[in-house]
Amino acid sequence: MAKKTIVPVQKESLPARREDLNPFALLRQEMNSLFDNFFSGFAPESFETRLGAFSPRVDIAETDKEIKVTAELPGMDDKDIDVALTRDMLTIRGEKKEEKEEKGKNYYRMERSYGSFSRSVPLPSEIDTNKVKADFKKGILTVTLPKTPQAIKETKKIQVKAE
Amino acid sequence: MPDMAKDIQKKEAESPERGERTRTRRVYTPVVDIIERKDDIIVIADMPGVDEKSVDITIEKNVLTISGAVEAVIPENRTMYVNEYGIGDYQRVFTLTDEVDKEKIQASVKNGMLKIVLPKAEALKTRKIAVKTEA
Repeated sequence: MAKKTIVPVQKESLPARREDLNPFALLRQEMNSLFDNFFSGFAPESFETRLGAFSPRVDIAETDKEIKVTAELPGMDDKDIDVALTRDMLTIRGEKKEEKEEKGKNYYRMERSYGSFSRSVPLPSEIDTNKVKADFKKGILTVTLPKTPQAIKETKKIQVKAE
Repeated sequence: MPDMAKDIQKKEAESPERGERTRTRRVYTPVVDIIERKDDIIVIADMPGVDEKSVDITIEKNVLTISGAVEAVIPENRTMYVNEYGIGDYQRVFTLTDEVDKEKIQASVKNGMLKIVLPKAEALKTRKIAVKTEA
């Protein structure tokens, strides 16, 4: 049911690379994206997305009762995070700011990235929008989207019988 | 290649640094910024999922080790649709020079971001010497 509708995350906001995959998964993913992007024209990715503008990593998991979207937003403040829910789309938006106090600074190493970001996740329709909760703790944002009782009921288990 | 490094937000450690570990968890290398100011050097590390209780900073001779444990509650029989980050512990090791006053190191964690302030040793602080005209 919900599987198809929830999978695609807005393409342009996907992180350009995923370093934590094993090499084979990475290769497969590269191949997939090559084919996926083939027909959508040859517009190159903007330099910003290629070269490390901040784009948070997102996990989306579904259990029987709810869908959970989590995002890693280390060093951000809950005030700088904006979570919006329209009927069928969850959008996480915000800006990761560079600390201002480090003026006249001398960088030895700069691996962290900053900037504004926006990620959208399409949702299946069976979400109880009134009960959606967002929680920001230890740099991880968790959005809990409970399913409507109807949707929970509709999931049926079908017995497989041997003849 | 600062740009390449910026691309990596969270990378699995290639081999657990410094010996074997007693926990069978994945270990990630947190990304850091290292900034020098007039009187100190700051290390900022992104470690989502870590709080002040689960982070551990040790100094042994000249080696500064940052480690963080992440305890995640993973519900049973869930289906992952998008899985962009892995959950695991953090570890990273730095070597300090004598420039740093090891007694006065301070660290704080806020919203999954660790900040370590390494004050420069008194003798090595940049000092301005007033130049006087000879009478």
